[in-house]
Amino acid sequence: MRIPCPYCGSRDASEFSYSGDATLTRPAPENTEAMFHYVYLRDNPVGVHREYWYHAAGCHAWLKVTRNVSTHEVIDAVLAHDEAAS
Amino acid sequence: MLDLAHISAFAELRSIGDGRGVIARERRGIAIATVMARKGQGAALAAAVKEQFDINLPRGPHGSGSDATSFLGTGPGRWLVTHDAGTPRFVVSLAQQLDGLASVVDQSDGVGLLRLTGPALLDVLAKGVAVDLSAAAFPAGSVAVTQIAHMGVTLWKVDEAPTFHIAVARSMAGSFLHWLEASAGMTGLAAE
Ligand SMILES: [Zn+2]
Repeated sequence: MRIPCPYCGSRDASEFSYSGDATLTRPAPENTEAMFHYVYLRDNPVGVHREYWYHAAGCHAWLKVTRNVSTHEVIDAVLAHDEAAS
Repeated sequence: MLDLAHISAFAELRSIGDGRGVIARERRGIAIATVMARKGQGAALAAAVKEQFDINLPRGPHGSGSDATSFLGTGPGRWLVTHDAGTPRFVVSLAQQLDGLASVVDQSDGVGLLRLTGPALLDVLAKGVAVDLSAAAFPAGSVAVTQIAHMGVTLWKVDEAPTFHIAVARSMAGSFLHWLEASAGMTGLAAE
């Protein structure tokens, strides 16, 4: 699997580390019930999914990758920093 | 009293095998620094680099500058700076010039630099680099931060000979030379 890093270009997945589900929003820490669900109760979706990947062996940027987890087709990758800023 | 000698990162670079498929030379005495833009200071940093060095700060994975001073894009808001003109305390003055705009960290003794060229260079690099380095995909001036045999490297193409410069953490220099000797031995590694 190769990931198209917006900064570096197409790179092998071994340069990245998977860093979790990008569709979730971290709840307020005092909301213990929501935090429990956020940390421990994971969905296991099929098909197109959004994930955080960290380009550890490259530009050290966090990416938001849209990927079909059933076929491993990578559809899109953006800098998480850019998306957060927009 | 112990006498301390300055030993460069690639002091053990030596010729291996017959032939000159890869020609390697250590770039010594280079001032090296990482520069990271402070939050919201990207435009001001680019203006300062333009004013101080007459260099257009690259926004992508490219190098800009001359042999004397180069800014190499290594990530969003991050550059590796090399200075080959022997200015004393270059990194200290760079940090002062960019004060408030960027974090500057001296890497001069932390990173080893090699200059690689030769007719077999691309074939040898292909044994370790999972990035397309062909002339069309990676023209002179291109920079790649990637890994070779699990070792982090920053490599950039200087000219279409092709000549590459490669930066490796000093702590990995011995292992990197082992990889280079094993990979280039077949076509000959000539140390200069
Ligand atoms: Zn990257």
